[in-house]
Amino acid sequence: MKNIQWFYFFLILLVSTACTDVIDLETEAGETQLVIDAWVTDESKIQTIKLSLTQPYFDRGGIVPAKGATVILFSEDSIPYPFIDLKNDGNYVWQPSVVGEKILEVGKQYALYVKYGAEEYFSISRVNRVPPIDSINYFKQKYPVAPTDLRQEGYQVDFYARDPLGQGDCYWVRAYRNDTLFDKPSQILTVYDASFSPGGSADGLMFILPIRAGASPDLYNANDKVKVELYSIPPEAFYFLQLVRTESTNGGIFATVPSNIPTNIQPLDQNNKKQVLGFFAVSAVSSIETVVDGSKAIPKPSGR
Amino acid sequence: MYKLLLALLVVFMSIGHAAAQEKLTISGYVKDAKNGEALLGATVFVPTLGEGVTTNDYGFYSLTLPRGTYDISFSYVSYLEEKRQVKLENANVKLDLELKESALVLETVTISSERVDANVRSIEMSVNKVDMRTIQKMPALLGEVDVIRSIQFLPGVTTVGEGATGFNVRGGNVDQNLVLLDEAPVFNSSHLFGFFSVFNPDAVKDVKLIKGGIPAEYGGRVSSILDVRMKEGNSKKFAASGGIGTIFSRLALETPIIKDKGSFIVAARRSYIDVLAKPFLSGDLKDSRFYFYDLTAKANYQIDDKNTVFLSGYFGRDVFGADFGFDWGNTTASARWNHIFNDKLFLNTTAFFSNYDYRLQSDLREPNPQDAFRWNSNIKNYSVKPDFTYYLNSRNKISFGGQMIYYTFQPGKAEAISGGETRVIGQDSKYAIEYAAYFGNEQKLGKNFTLQYGIRYSMYDYIGPGNAYTYGPQTGERREPISTQTYERGERITRYGNWEPRFSANIGIGDASSIKVSYNRMAQYLHLLSNTAAASPLDVWTPTSNNIKPQLSDQVALGLFKNFKDNLFETSVEVYYKSLQNQVDYIPNSDLLLNPQLEGDLLFGDGRAYGAEFFIKKTKGKLNGWLSYTLSRTERQIKGLNNNDWFPSRFDKTHVLNFVGIYDLNERVSFSLNFTYGTGTPATFPTSKFIWQGYALPHNFYAQRNGYRIPDYHRVDLAAIVKQKKKLFGKGEGEWVFSIYNLYNRRNAFSVYVRQNEDNPSQTEAVRYSVFGSIIPAVTYNFKF
Repeated sequence: MKNIQWFYFFLILLVSTACTDVIDLETEAGETQLVIDAWVTDESKIQTIKLSLTQPYFDRGGIVPAKGATVILFSEDSIPYPFIDLKNDGNYVWQPSVVGEKILEVGKQYALYVKYGAEEYFSISRVNRVPPIDSINYFKQKYPVAPTDLRQEGYQVDFYARDPLGQGDCYWVRAYRNDTLFDKPSQILTVYDASFSPGGSADGLMFILPIRAGASPDLYNANDKVKVELYSIPPEAFYFLQLVRTESTNGGIFATVPSNIPTNIQPLDQNNKKQVLGFFAVSAVSSIETVVDGSKAIPKPSGR
Repeated sequence: MYKLLLALLVVFMSIGHAAAQEKLTISGYVKDAKNGEALLGATVFVPTLGEGVTTNDYGFYSLTLPRGTYDISFSYVSYLEEKRQVKLENANVKLDLELKESALVLETVTISSERVDANVRSIEMSVNKVDMRTIQKMPALLGEVDVIRSIQFLPGVTTVGEGATGFNVRGGNVDQNLVLLDEAPVFNSSHLFGFFSVFNPDAVKDVKLIKGGIPAEYGGRVSSILDVRMKEGNSKKFAASGGIGTIFSRLALETPIIKDKGSFIVAARRSYIDVLAKPFLSGDLKDSRFYFYDLTAKANYQIDDKNTVFLSGYFGRDVFGADFGFDWGNTTASARWNHIFNDKLFLNTTAFFSNYDYRLQSDLREPNPQDAFRWNSNIKNYSVKPDFTYYLNSRNKISFGGQMIYYTFQPGKAEAISGGETRVIGQDSKYAIEYAAYFGNEQKLGKNFTLQYGIRYSMYDYIGPGNAYTYGPQTGERREPISTQTYERGERITRYGNWEPRFSANIGIGDASSIKVSYNRMAQYLHLLSNTAAASPLDVWTPTSNNIKPQLSDQVALGLFKNFKDNLFETSVEVYYKSLQNQVDYIPNSDLLLNPQLEGDLLFGDGRAYGAEFFIKKTKGKLNGWLSYTLSRTERQIKGLNNNDWFPSRFDKTHVLNFVGIYDLNERVSFSLNFTYGTGTPATFPTSKFIWQGYALPHNFYAQRNGYRIPDYHRVDLAAIVKQKKKLFGKGEGEWVFSIYNLYNRRNAFSVYVRQNEDNPSQTEAVRYSVFGSIIPAVTYNFKF
């Protein structure tokens, strides 16, 4: 929804004095909690699960790894896939032993088991189907006003994929420019069926336009490499990612009340009050890559 | 139960009238001599008897007295008093009267009538009227005179922050105010999100805010009534007024249809920055549209002595877009018929239509696009509302009537067109009918004791066609429907009914003081779903349903009113306690737009608000204005939020101090100053952060809501009004208004939030967001002739 920038532009024109300042703030510290960052894909490559500890919000230090944990992923056929902290830095990894080996299969459920100190935690997630990305195209774009921190001129890239029939398919669109992921929280793009939110009726469509433009959180130059990944995600991950986006970009006059981002990882012992933060999900991935070639650009579509 | 009530009522009303003697009635209209506008709330008083009455919302009065000859005084704030000798010997008397505006407030006219202490004597409490002449003199943001911004200087009224839509009254949400424009509700009172209100000051005659002791004729919202009445139009001669401000250019025309029989007024405003910007825009921007406007029109015609009709309409819109479009606006239309059955029975019947809608379109140029998104939402309502006033005798004024409102809701429907295929997503339309009947009496029991009591019964039917979902118990998280039931057109899905008792008393103590108490219960069947800090134009009004219960409020208030120095100073102290039921809140990440199962994202709970309001007003003299201080608390308790404990509402402000001062230097020049101070609004901050997929995310270990506060708010505004010496076109008047908003350039926080650093995502910081970060000067030119 690039058009929304126009909207802000008019608002800024009219009230050009709105401003933000970074200020000092003191808040009470909470207890330290374990954080589990476990997102495993069906690709045959190194899979990493990161364990760390929470820090006071305004702490300036780097990430605090949680070492010495046991991390195992189980398939629904009870095959264990241990994840090992090889470098003792909180990154627990699994690597394929032969070319083409992978953990996940579409349609199957997987359980994550983590033991940290005396506490044991688990979570379950299902690998959903993902449609192929059919194609990519691009056109020359020039915005009348330079968007904040983004390019004013370049190629806008769209990707095309069709949501399979059947309601409730959720996706995470990840775009890379020259192998760098667009990784701002505001660039997290989640898809429900072929549209933005549940309601079902966008089921089975080609991904609607604002989502197609998700290949281009910023404009590309000629000869830039474009890569788009489409992750199938469980519905609970759809809501989790929405909250991640909301809670990290929650300012201004239409901000929502800040709230905690719930986790789907539970203590194994239900009486254990020590809760963890983070999320576990499994995804099937489809992707497409190309290099922007100015001579292949399509004419600028109406309304863009 | 109600039979008992009725019997009590009959006994009550006959107190002091057991020995009925033959009486006669004087009745008529009180109007402004200059333009024929009806004067609302003017006092008609018989000093020898110590009895009187005030004119109603149409300027009508009726007073029944024992046979005799009386000196009757007619008075109204900042108008010259008129005295008439009336012979009530043989027959009822009809007396229409016109009052002359006192040339200027600074003449310090000594009005000798005993009834200028209306604030002390009247049964009304928790009511604020702001004279349009005062509103026009107050400093305004960008020089644009604004009714809603002005009432935010009154005690008990707050806002979530500058630039936010609407206002909060005694701890009530913005949707709990019934904003009436000529009796038709206005669903979104703002232009440009919340910067300017939709009321054109050139067309507004009277503004009244009722915060408590709400009479039985009002219902439908739980916190307050903002009753805005439009001018009827000059019935004496043609008049024009207008101006050019920083944002709007304005023009209002009024003229008699038939002199002293009928008139009309048309007032229009439009923002014009787009017109100025046009020559500088090129390329894609050339087609951009960004403006807002409103058109207000009203006509009245007096058919004969007994019948008068009024037609009024409002049409306003905000339009933004280039290739895409986003526009929203209100439309209201009301037709009213005043009928005088006899000298004692007055009827006003209002029929109105009100609509609020918005549209978003992704592509305005291509009529048949392959890919597009079109989204619209609206709420429409149609209503008939007869209101009777029966002036039984000089001690009892009975009001009764009813209302029926038919609602249609289109909460949000979107057409998603992708690759030429179209899908409709969103919610189905919803339908409801609200009924109400009421009875009330204002009764004087002796010179120093007045009562107002009444009862309103409201009933609400949520009807088909549509689907009704059933959800499990509230946990604080999203709930999926357990079952769905489909209803036919017109079939009742659910019904609610509520008795709403109302009561006020005024006990006079001594010459210029009184104690007032009031209680009211209110029911509300509409809810504005808004999970953002400030309400946005996209927010949707949603009906009460099988899942959403009607909101209820009970409020008690106690006040002490006293005037000093021959009513030069009006003072009041009021304390109130309000309890609210079935308040709507939201799960984190609630999806309120285009979501058919949005009820599963709602949470319900209770609210409470209490406080003390101190008010002192200097009514006359070169220097006039007011000072108000409010100490208050407003909280809610929602199962699933804040560990199920009470937490302060988003707009809770412990201390609020407001000052409005106007100094009339001479007939040509006046100065004004506003000062406002308020405790910072509550905020939720994280205790810890955690890193997930490279994002530094906030977490509050204690799951506490609104446990912190943003910095305090304070601001000073100044204005100077200079009238031109030279007459405009030989007879008209022109004036320049110079204003400065935020004089000492304070960056008041609208909110404070946290985010990860742009350059180093693992680092986090707190950010203060200010809507206005600088001093804002403005110049406006106004004219009238």
